Amino acid sequence: MYGGGNTFEHIKSNGLENEDPEKLAQFEARIERGEKIEPNDWMPQLYRKQLIRMIEQHAHSEIIGALPEGTWITRAPGFKRKLALMAKVQDEVGHAQLLYSAAETLGKSREQMIDDLINGKSKYSNIFNYPAFTWADSCFISWLVDAGAIVNQLANARGSYGPYCRALDRICAEESFHLKYGHHCVIHMATGTEKQREMMQAAINRWWPPMMHFFGPSDKISVHSEILMRWKVKMGSNDDMRNQFLDMYVPKIWELGFTIPDENLRKNEVTGRWEYTEPDWEEFKRVINGDGPCNKERLAVRRTAEERGRWVREALLAPKTEYVAPLA
Amino acid sequence: MTNTEALKELIYKMADDQLILGHRNSEWTGFGPLLEEDIAFSSMAQDKVGQSYALYQILNDLGEGDPDTVAFMRNADQFHNSQLVELPNGEYDFSLVRHFLFDTAEAIRFQMLTNCSHEPLAQLANKIKGELRYHTMHADIWIKQLGRATEESVSKLQDSLDRLIPYAIGVFEPSPMEDQIIEDKIFEGEGKLRQQWEEAILVVKSKTPLNLPYFSLVKPV
Amino acid sequence: MESLDPRVNRLNLSTTELTSKAPLDQLGTYEVFSQLKEDKPYFHVGPVHAPNCEMAFLFAKEQFSRRQTCTGLFVVETRNIKVSVFTEGEDTVYNYISNPGELANGNTESFELFHLKKRGKQHEYIGTIEASSAEVALSMVKSEFINDKPVYNIWIIKTSDIESSQDEDKIIWDTLPDKKFRDAIAYKAADKIKEFKERQ
Repeated sequence: MYGGGNTFEHIKSNGLENEDPEKLAQFEARIERGEKIEPNDWMPQLYRKQLIRMIEQHAHSEIIGALPEGTWITRAPGFKRKLALMAKVQDEVGHAQLLYSAAETLGKSREQMIDDLINGKSKYSNIFNYPAFTWADSCFISWLVDAGAIVNQLANARGSYGPYCRALDRICAEESFHLKYGHHCVIHMATGTEKQREMMQAAINRWWPPMMHFFGPSDKISVHSEILMRWKVKMGSNDDMRNQFLDMYVPKIWELGFTIPDENLRKNEVTGRWEYTEPDWEEFKRVINGDGPCNKERLAVRRTAEERGRWVREALLAPKTEYVAPLA
Repeated sequence: MTNTEALKELIYKMADDQLILGHRNSEWTGFGPLLEEDIAFSSMAQDKVGQSYALYQILNDLGEGDPDTVAFMRNADQFHNSQLVELPNGEYDFSLVRHFLFDTAEAIRFQMLTNCSHEPLAQLANKIKGELRYHTMHADIWIKQLGRATEESVSKLQDSLDRLIPYAIGVFEPSPMEDQIIEDKIFEGEGKLRQQWEEAILVVKSKTPLNLPYFSLVKPV
Repeated sequence: MESLDPRVNRLNLSTTELTSKAPLDQLGTYEVFSQLKEDKPYFHVGPVHAPNCEMAFLFAKEQFSRRQTCTGLFVVETRNIKVSVFTEGEDTVYNYISNPGELANGNTESFELFHLKKRGKQHEYIGTIEASSAEVALSMVKSEFINDKPVYNIWIIKTSDIESSQDEDKIIWDTLPDKKFRDAIAYKAADKIKEFKERQ
């Protein structure tokens, strides 16, 4: 699960003047042709650095994203939901493994990335800093947060870096289960008792603002990077992704008789774009910088897992093997 | 003719053990010691819950309640499980040793049940052979690995073994209708299972410097 | 702090400040290949980290074959894979493989060969070759397995470096088709929505 709220480093000097112009031209031509870049291919330093940053944040979002829904693993209602939720949260961990592997091909080790997550250096998707109070919250996440993630991931799967695209192809296939499962859960709540409908509506009200934040700051205020678009690192603007999500899912929420807590939300039939109340970007910044309802808990859980697992990993260190970057 | 009460008693015990251990093991999803193991352990927890679901369905066909109701709506004193499976997870060594002790027994139990006179149970036993093969493969490899790696890992495993062996032997508590179960060829009995289990545990143990008590001197919990 | 997740409350959360988790305990790297059906070729699915082949296999099984079907899986340590140069367009990598001169000099062993047929896709198994070295094996491939289509990259692995599933272990994938709860197909709900709308 991942949104477009990734923080790209502000590119002051892109350092391209130090790159070999001939190689750079070949590299750009390859991307232009729609071909993938593979780990062994020549690439500009900036491309490598920004990709590591983006894939790493995506991986962190998966491993942290396992936590809000994991809240309901022990209390999922009935066998079918319990099995599905276990499998879904497991998938998030699996996605983290795939994504860390893709980032590793660029030269940063997984342990280093996890270290940067728990020492607070790198970010993850903001939405996972919110709590899952009820079962309905977990239904919202499974359906709509994953739906948002799919919008982003399908776009990114058309990007230029081979290992990331392959990881995303695998991830998107699994996300289709998440999406259907989540939708199934929400429909069940929607067609259930009055109490169930109320619970679901309350969850929608709680999660709507972070859901709007999920795609990242509005294009009006976010740092544009033409070069990242040209290199197919970033595949769409935050507003485009948000609009695509609204277009696909608002009607599906409405058809279940739920309301969305934004009285300005409507599709402008002339422009084809959705209009909405501008999300509170101050809150977005505050939460991403550590002051959200669950930031401390999420990182403490991850850190505890690392600390408690350390003796295991140490016992697995084998002199006969050696860490190397994965091949593809 | 099979004694249905004796059969149900056995299935309840097995299903409750699996459900609760599956539930406990699922707590590790997202908190595992390394990502790959997190995924593997979660799959096995899913297998356990899935296997218990299948057993409750067999019970349902024998006239018991709906699986969801039976599994999630009973009171604590209506469960037939062993204490081994209830214990809180503790550290990874504890969960892993419990997984090793329980799943070794489980694999042998279902192997024996492939000859069960109650056809649906025999079918289930045949069907899940592969799942259990992976579980014991996983448990054996991990115990071998951690049981001879670092001083810390060996001593952690030893502590957990010492604590868990009495509970593990508690799994083999004979049913009040044990004679009937054996006579009706439902199952060859906890005694026979325990014997084979002890041998299997010793085989894995022998590849490590870990110590086991004399099983006959252990007081089961 | 009290969590909404009972599992977290049982974890005894670490309350230490954000710090680095030195030393870095990074395990070895293994590449995983799987086969979806008996008559399909093995192809590369991704890496796992593990201390040895045996554990790499354990991990690979659940990370890369917990859905759909699987009939075989193997792992090999990443550093034991020999990788050729990459080419593109119409340029096949075999243009850059020279004949090592001496072909058979006594002892041979077997090598597994993998081709990248399309950039961006995965490496796929092509065949096994008996040769005295990886280099010799490569030069032999040229005549045995090459058609007109370009090959963009080659991986070559000594068969003895591979840890593979055994025939008797194939039952570990037996119940995959029953795990419908992991697939989108199990969550159809169009009828329920239709019924709901009609009631409104």
